[in-house]
Parts: sequence; C-alpha cells; structure tokens
Amino acid sequence: MSVTIVQNKEYKNKQKVKDNFISAIIGFFAFVWIFPILWTLWTSLRPYNDIISYGVFSWPRHLNLDNYFQAFRVMGLTKYFLNTLYVMVPSVILILFLGSLIAFVVSRYSFRFNLTLLLFFTAGNMLPTIATYIPVFWLYIKIGDLFGNRSLLYNNYFGIILIHVAFQVGFATFVLSSYMKTVPKEISESAILDGCSVFRHYWNVLLPLLRPPLAALGVLMSCWIYNDFFWALILMSEDSKRPVTSALRQLQGQYITDFNLLAAGASIVAAPTIILFLVLRKQFVSGLTLGATKG
Amino acid sequence: MKTAAVNKIVRSRRSLSRNDRFTLSAFVGIPTLLQIIFLWFPTLITVVLSFTYWNGVNVSDIKWAGLANYKNIFLGSPVFYDALKNNVVWLLWFTFIATPLGILLAYQFDRKIKGHQIYETIFYMPVVLSLAIIGIIWNFMLQPGGFVQGVMGRDIGNAVSIWGNYSINSYVIMAVASWRHIGYIMLLYLAGLKAFDSSLREASAIDGATEWQTFRKIIFPTMRPVNVIILVITIIDSLRAFDLVYIIYGTSTAWPLLNILAFQNFAGQGISMKGAAYSVIALVLCVVPILIYLRNVFKEDLQ
Amino acid sequence: MSEVNNGISRRSVLKGAAIGGAGLVAGGSLLAGCGKKKVTGDVHYTIRGNLSDAGAKINIAVNDAYTKKTGNKVISQAVNSDDFQNNFVQIMQGTPDDAFGWMAGWRTNARADSGLLADVSDQVKALGSSLSAAAIQGATNPADGKQYIIPTTYYPWGLHYRKSTMTELGLNPENIATWDDLIKLCEATKKKGLVGYALGDKGGWEAMGTFDILNMRLNGYQFHYDLLNGKEKWTDAKVVDVFTHMGQLIPYMNKNVLDISWDGMRDLLLQKKCGAMMMGSWFANDFKAKSQEDYDDLWIVPFPEINPEHGVDSIDAPLDGISVAANGKNVEGGKDLAQFWGSKEGIDAAVAAGDTSIYISSDFDTSGYDAFNKQKLAVLGAAKNIGFFLDRDTRGDFAGPVVGPAIQSFLKNPKDLTKILESTQAQWDALPAL
Repeated sequence: MSVTIVQNKEYKNKQKVKDNFISAIIGFFAFVWIFPILWTLWTSLRPYNDIISYGVFSWPRHLNLDNYFQAFRVMGLTKYFLNTLYVMVPSVILILFLGSLIAFVVSRYSFRFNLTLLLFFTAGNMLPTIATYIPVFWLYIKIGDLFGNRSLLYNNYFGIILIHVAFQVGFATFVLSSYMKTVPKEISESAILDGCSVFRHYWNVLLPLLRPPLAALGVLMSCWIYNDFFWALILMSEDSKRPVTSALRQLQGQYITDFNLLAAGASIVAAPTIILFLVLRKQFVSGLTLGATKG
Repeated sequence: MKTAAVNKIVRSRRSLSRNDRFTLSAFVGIPTLLQIIFLWFPTLITVVLSFTYWNGVNVSDIKWAGLANYKNIFLGSPVFYDALKNNVVWLLWFTFIATPLGILLAYQFDRKIKGHQIYETIFYMPVVLSLAIIGIIWNFMLQPGGFVQGVMGRDIGNAVSIWGNYSINSYVIMAVASWRHIGYIMLLYLAGLKAFDSSLREASAIDGATEWQTFRKIIFPTMRPVNVIILVITIIDSLRAFDLVYIIYGTSTAWPLLNILAFQNFAGQGISMKGAAYSVIALVLCVVPILIYLRNVFKEDLQ
Repeated sequence: MSEVNNGISRRSVLKGAAIGGAGLVAGGSLLAGCGKKKVTGDVHYTIRGNLSDAGAKINIAVNDAYTKKTGNKVISQAVNSDDFQNNFVQIMQGTPDDAFGWMAGWRTNARADSGLLADVSDQVKALGSSLSAAAIQGATNPADGKQYIIPTTYYPWGLHYRKSTMTELGLNPENIATWDDLIKLCEATKKKGLVGYALGDKGGWEAMGTFDILNMRLNGYQFHYDLLNGKEKWTDAKVVDVFTHMGQLIPYMNKNVLDISWDGMRDLLLQKKCGAMMMGSWFANDFKAKSQEDYDDLWIVPFPEINPEHGVDSIDAPLDGISVAANGKNVEGGKDLAQFWGSKEGIDAAVAAGDTSIYISSDFDTSGYDAFNKQKLAVLGAAKNIGFFLDRDTRGDFAGPVVGPAIQSFLKNPKDLTKILESTQAQWDALPAL
C-alpha cells in the first residue's frame, strides 16, 4: 500500500509539470476561442466614427453604451424580445409536457409498439429540417383555409409554437425516457396498487420525480428555441411578430453598415443565452448529456 | 424477484379501466399526431414532390416528372458535386479534426487540470449562441476592415479575399463551424468520462503506461458507446449543415452544400421541385447514420 | 381620379381631423357616393429593405403623403430585401401586405400567371399619358396583356465612378469610347494602386450586370434576349466571346470579388478605393444619405462600344414599381396606394424625402433633376433597347440557381469556361416547360 502511495507521489509531481504545460496551451486556445466574443463586445462600446477616423486598432477616444441605447431604439428590441417570449415559453412547456407523457407511457406500460414509438420520436428529431420548410408552410395555409382563417397557424405565434413542439418533442421524449429507466419501478407499483388512475399516476407520482431532467431540458430547449430564426422567416409574414434573432437583420445593410451598432445589437441578443448558460451551467450540461449519452 | 415486480406493473391493456385507457391513448396520441402531421407528413410531401415539376402555387399545376429532377441533378448540375464535395470535406474535418479535438479537451478537463472550469465554460460558450449571432461575430473578425484584415494591415480597398478565396474559404468555414462543434463534443464526452472509473487510469499510470497509452488502451475502448454516438452525431450534423453557410453566403451558391441547394431551389426565387430532390438526397444520406444511431442507443431494448 | 376629387377629399380629411381622429376614415367613406368610387380602409405596405436603409425613409414619406391625401392609414413594415425575394412566393400565398415595391419583368409576370398578383391595368390607365408607351410595354405581362405592376422608377446600369478620383488620376472616363479605352482606363487606375474595375459577386447576381452589358455590346440586344429565352445556345461562340471579355477584366478587379456583395462594391467607391464600377444607379441614395458632397462626386457613363455593329444601343434599365398582392386584405386599397406612388403627388413626396431616382411619369418635371440624374437620363437616352437585368429577363429557376453559380465558377476559374457553358446549356434544356 505504502509503495503505491510513494509511486503515486512521484507520478503526481512529474505529472504536475506536464499538466501546467498542457493547461497553458489550452489556456492559449481558450483565449483564441473567446476572443471573437470579446472583440464584438469591445466594438460595441465604441462609436462608429472613432473607427472610421482612427482605425480599428486605435486607442479608444470614447467608450460608452450609446450603441446599446441606439440598438434598442432602432430595432425596437423590447417588442422582439416579447415575441421571443410568446413563442419560447409555451413551446418549452408543451415540449416538456408532451415529452414526459410519452416517456411515462413507454416506460411504465408495456405495449407492443413501445419501442417503435421511441424509435419514431428519436428518428424524427434527426431529420434534416430543410426538407420540411416549404411543405409545412403549405400545410399551415391549407389548414388555415380549412377553418376559414388563413392566420390560424400561418403568421401566428401559435403556428411557430406548434412547429417547435413537433420538432423538439422527439428529443424530450428520448431524454426523459432514458431518465425514467433510472427511476425505480417500485414507486409505480405502489401507485398502481393504491388504485391511482393513469393520470394521477403520471401527475402526482412520476412528474415530481422527473424534476431534474425537466429542468435540464427546459434550459436547453429555451436556448434552442431562443436561437432559432428560420421558422419565423418562413412562417411569419409580419416582421413585427418575429423573434429577436430575426430583428438583427434590421441592423444590417445600412448605407454603410454601422458595425458598432450591429455589435451592440448582437451582444444584447446574445446576452440572455450566455447569462442563462453561466447561471444554469449544470442544467445545460445534463440536458445535453442525458440525451446523447443516455445518463 | 425484480422481474416479478415489474411484471405486476407492466399490465396488459385489458386490465386498465376505460378512463385509463382513454388517458393513455391521449398521452400517446397527441404528441404522435403532432409529429406525424408536422414532421413526417411534410417530409413525405417533399419526397413525392421531388418526382414532379411544379412552381409551388397551384396544386393543379403539378406535373409528374418521374426521375427527371434527379437525372438533372446527377447528370446536369456540376454544382451538386461541388456541394457533395463540401459536405464530405465538412464530414471529414469534423470526424478527424474537430471531434477528436473536443475529445482531447474533455480528457484534459476530466483530469481537472488547472483552470479546467473556466476553460470548459469558454469552450462551451459558442454553443449557446444563435447562428445569426455567430455569423455577425465572425464577420467582425474576417470582413474587409475587420480584425483579421486589420492585423494583416489591410483595409477595405486591399482586403485579403477570405470568403471568396477557394484555396482557403473551406478551412475558414470549417474553423468557424468547429468553433461551435468542439465545445459541444467536449461537453458530451466529458459527461461520459465522469462515469468512468478514475482508479483504472491511475492503476495504468502506475503500471508505467504513458498518458497516450492509457487513453488509447483503457479509456477510449471503455467509452465505446459514447464514441459511437458522438461519431454518428458528427456525421448527421455534417450532412445536415446549412445555417452557418446560409448566414455567410445567403442562397448564392458560392460555397454550396446539399441543403443550401435544396433551399435555393425549393424556396428562393425560382421555386422548382429540383430543390425537393436535393433535400431528398440529403435525407437519404442521413438515413444510414440515423439507423446506426438508433441501433446503438436502443441496443438493449432491441434485444 | 380628378384633381377636384382630390381637393374635396383632402379638405374633408382636414375637417375630419379637426373633429377628432375617428373622423379620419369616415371622412373618406362618406365621399363614396360623390363621383368616383372612393377607396377606404387601412393599407398594408412592405418596404423592401431594412428599416435603417435610406430607401425606407423615402417609402414612409410617400405613404405618409398618401395618408394625408386620402385619410387611409398606411401600415408599413420593412422586410430584409433578400428575405422578401427568397420567400416571395410563400409570402404572396399567405397573408401578404396589400402593396409592396417590386420589379417588372419575369418576377412579376410569372407570379401574375400563378394568380399571386392583382391586375392593376385600371390604375395604369388612370395614370394615362403620364406613363410612356415604352414603360407600359415593359410593365405588361405578355401572357395576357395586362399590367401587374405600376412602374414608378427606373435606373441605368453603367460605369460609375467618382469625379474627384478620376481627376486626381488625370483620367476622364467620359472619353472612353471603345473596349481598348476601357482597358486602358482600368490599367491606369490600377497603376495608381486602386481597383480598376470594382466587382462583387458574393450574392451571385451582381456580376450578371457585367455579363448583360458585354453580351449586348458584343452580340446585340436581340441575341441577348434570345439567349435568355432559350432561343440561342449558351455554348455558342458568341457567348464564349462574352466570357473572354469578362476574363480580360479580371486582372483589374479587386481580389475579393466573391467576398463582397453589392454593398461592398458601393463601399469601395464610397471610400475612393476604386476607379470604375459597373452597377445600377440605385445605390446613389446611399451616397446622398452619407453626404451631399459624396453624392455630387458620383458620375455615370455608358459602357463603351465593343462591336461597332451594335454601338451603345442597348442597356440594362430595370423598371421598378409597386405591385399589389392578390391575396391582400385590402386589394383595392393596395391598388389605390400603388397608383398614388405612380402619380405626381407620390413622386413629389419621394423627392422631398431625398429620393434620387429617375421617374417614369411625365407629370414629373425633369428640369428639376440634379446633374447626376440628368446624366442618368443621358445614359439611358443613348440606348435604343432596354433590358431589365438578367434575373428579371429570364426564368427564376434558371437565373439564380444556374446562371449565378455559372458566372461565379467562371470568376473563380476562367479556364473551366467550356465546361461551365456546356452545363449551363444542359440545365436550361432540363428545365420543365412553363
């Protein structure tokens, strides 16, 4: 035993030097990694005229938040942030709810098509979305016309929510059903013996147990839906209903694109996901890893 | 004993009350219906449309085209092969460079080297950004008048060609794509490693194995399930690649990818069902990796 | 709509406004009985471009003037131009805005054939003789002889440059008459360390302007037109000749042609980094928005003659205007707004807001044009045949997906020309019948 410890010590000393070296190299790359983000932040604090007059690398004459205020004003960011919320919050709740339903049924009741169902949902999540863009659009119009209201799904928050749900529920199902396998079945057994209905079994017994993966998934899904802008591009005809990520386009293509303003806009739009990530890092990680590596 | 308990819970449909049966059907039915209507049905429409001529407006204008769109793509559109090449470049780069780098980082961070927590955060940060923002950020870096050009002492008049220079633009696009991908892989692998018994590693170190040997002979083989999943994710992501290039080049085909061509022809200004055929090709290429993925993930269940 | 009618409605609007905001719309509808049918209701309008563009302010100014005249509120939204064009067919099938800025040619006619655009022939008739026969001809859909766009403005594609830059270099592009002159000009500019022939083609359409003009200069308008309509072959030696000439310009181009889009070209000129630039004059608004000084420095000359047989008899002069969506909520309102855009009052409002376009309407007094606009007219006047630009003169499933990449491949690798042209022809042949 003692020999092992001594050897361990030697090994550790040697390793320490090497590790410091490795750490320094990775540190360098980490700097390279974060530099574009820092540069964008730096750019956003400087007025465009400073760059024009003195160059990109000039010592800053002015550093202020003017670009941020202007970005809020020019882009009407508040409105777009609200649009994002209108879509994101219901989508995430629905995805988690529907995903947990399937996961619950599949892991607690044995039907012949259980596995098929799981495969079906997981495969759906991996399809290339491009193939569905245009048909989904036609579908929305046709369904709308069927009910006499073309804006029933198209150009409606509800439509965007629905499409996010349809596309992400597969992932949620997959993650939650993997997690469910780690929940002892005895809990369900006693629930059933107590004469719980299926709904109460789900709602009162299992849902509380699913809190950790639901939280993780919720964070991850919020981030994904927040970041999406393609669906809104195709399914929203009114610009004023589009999410904040699309609004960024309003800053581009000015007679000379004011890059400093654009940098401020980008920083504002990026802030929520970055803050969310920094605060809820654990949830992010477990959300992703539950899905990919099955716990 | 356990089996007995499970058997008791796992009851056949018949033993459930009518109400319960209804609840269960709704639980399964609603999400399934959503998936079928908004995901599988549109995909099927695309597949069918890829065998037609249509301008995308009046259903009565749809004309059967047989394999004409595919023939046109395979025999008449050199841009298809450029796209295929770019998809393959993407795939190879991700498989042999970006993904291993992510694994390497995960391995180092798992050993808790100095500063690993902050490094982890930094490498993962690009993953949480929207591609719209990634496009803007990298434009700041690379455009004429941007940081990289500035470092090289170029202004807008004599800026170095980057997006349009075909000897380097593939690498630049790969680098930007990796900026996002490496962090993602790093995180996935890290989670896998956490489950790995670290005493195994120490034991092998004591046996005089080098770091590399330990990784190659002990850690890597034990991580096989994770490896396969990461590989398949890498492949599917490479074949589905679209957003980043769309942000950089729009629908112009300066650096084509299968999905860019699909979007350009399907939506775009022309609307032709050649676009549907392009997306079907991309879809078919994805099918095999998807099947491998499913097989791996549900291995136990399938048996 | 007669002058008198306008007077009455304007007065009644003012009266309505005095009574209260609610009176605005009612004031208009009360008049429905007197004289012509009065169009009422809110009109939705899409500004093709970003809110921060110079053009957006002009659009809003014209719409405000319309509201002031008719009492009909106009609700404008700015949509990124690329997004709007890429999703046009979807937008028109969904819940489109009633009116929007659009372009004459294939993009209007083909969509009209599909029933996506509203017939505005009556409005064109109402504008009457203020529109020239040629403009009406250009806005007419050959399939049914009706108009689906109210033509408002047009602009020439020509060689743009800054007078100050050329003066500094001791050059005068107004004197270039032949291809050799142009090459010499490029050579001289390049020697001074500037870009000789600025070009960007990241968007895939910008270089079509150069292709068009070379084809029209070398082979004449008829050949160009026939080529774009499938009656001539892309593998023809005449087309090879066009690309050979384009190839001769490559050494004078900026080295990052495929990196920059039209706005990059504009910036090269704005920042005095280039000599000549082949472009449509619409970008002049941005010069004016930057500063009057920059705008005054801008000039345009026709692309020089190459083949004496055709001289400088042709030009790309895209016709822009306002179209009305067939699926809009207020189609009549959209038509009325579109007509306003084509009328003298609409043009006056645009000019007051700083628009530098040249107008089709003969009601507009051209004597008030600034020097640059007069020069644009002179450039246009030199030409007999007018093209609309490649991506409006040929099928949409050919221009963007086939010709765009073909020209990009050529700029990338001129040696592949034969292969590129063969495949372009093959892809034309594979197109489905319309």
